[in-house]
Amino acid sequence: MSRKLGALVLAMGILVGAMGIKTVLSSSTKGTVMMANGPAPLPEPRLPDKKKP
Amino acid sequence: MEGDGPGRKESMPGPLGLTIWFLGTVFELMFVVCSLARKSFIRYFPLNLYLILSTSVSIARFFILSTYGNRSDQYMYFYYYSDALLTLALYIALISLYSHVLGELRAGAYVKWVAVLLLLGTAGFSYAVVVQSTARLSTSFAYQLSQNLYFVGLVLTYILWGAVLKLRETRTRLVQIILSLGLYFSGYAASYALLNFSGEYSVSRYLCPLLGCFLPLSWSLTILRYDDESRLVPARLVAVPR
Repeated sequence: MSRKLGALVLAMGILVGAMGIKTVLSSSTKGTVMMANGPAPLPEPRLPDKKKP
Repeated sequence: MEGDGPGRKESMPGPLGLTIWFLGTVFELMFVVCSLARKSFIRYFPLNLYLILSTSVSIARFFILSTYGNRSDQYMYFYYYSDALLTLALYIALISLYSHVLGELRAGAYVKWVAVLLLLGTAGFSYAVVVQSTARLSTSFAYQLSQNLYFVGLVLTYILWGAVLKLRETRTRLVQIILSLGLYFSGYAASYALLNFSGEYSVSRYLCPLLGCFLPLSWSLTILRYDDESRLVPARLVAVPR
C-alpha cells in the first residue's frame, strides 16, 4: 500500500471514528448547536436555517 | 437597536459571565506574552496564532454583543462564523503538535497529507449533511464544519496522546500542552453530551466559557514553568508492567 493510500485510509478512519463519537453523544439531540471557542457567552440555542423559511 | 425586529437588543451576560469572559481573554493574551518572553513564539507559532485570533474574536464579539445583544442575528452569525475560523486555527495548531512529536521520525510530509485529507473529508461530510438545507447554506455549513472538526480534534488528540506514550516523549512542555488540549476537547464533548441529554441550555452557559478559560491558562502556566529543555522521567509518564 502506498503512503498516500495509507494516508487516505487513516484520514477516513479518523473521520468515521469522530463522527461515530458525535452520533453517540448526540443520540437524544434536540437540534442542539454546540460550539464554543474562547470564553464568550453562547448565543441563544437556535438553528439559523430554522428561524425563517 | 430597539424593538421587536430580528436585530433587537437583549440583555448582556451577568457579572459572572462577563468576569469569566474577561479572564479568558486575559489568559489568551497571557500565553502570547509568555511565549514572547520565553522566546517560544516562533516555536509554537500555530498555538500563538490561534490565541491571537481568539483574542481578536473575543473583543469583536464583545462589541457586537454590547451593541446588538445575545439574541440578535448579528451576534449569532458572527459567533458561528468566527467559531468555524477558530476551530480551523485550533486544528492547524493540533497538527503542528503532531509535527513536534513525530518530528524525529521524519513523518512531517505524511502528517500533512493526512491532515489535508482529513480536513477535506470533514468539509465534504459537513457539506453533505447540510446540502439539503437550501436556506442559509453557508451558515449551516460553518457550524456543521465547526462541530465536526471538534470531534475530529478530539480523536486526533487521543491518537497524539497515544503516540506520546508509545514514543516515550519526555519533553514536559509538549506533554503538558497535549494533555491540556485533551482535557479541553474532552470537556467540550462532555458538555455537548450533557446538553443533549439534559436539554438544559443553562448547563453550558458557564461551563463552556470556563472551558474556554482553561486552555490558555494551562498553556500559559506550562510555558511559564518549563522551558524547552525540561524533561519528564519516562517512568512517571507511563508505567509498563513487566
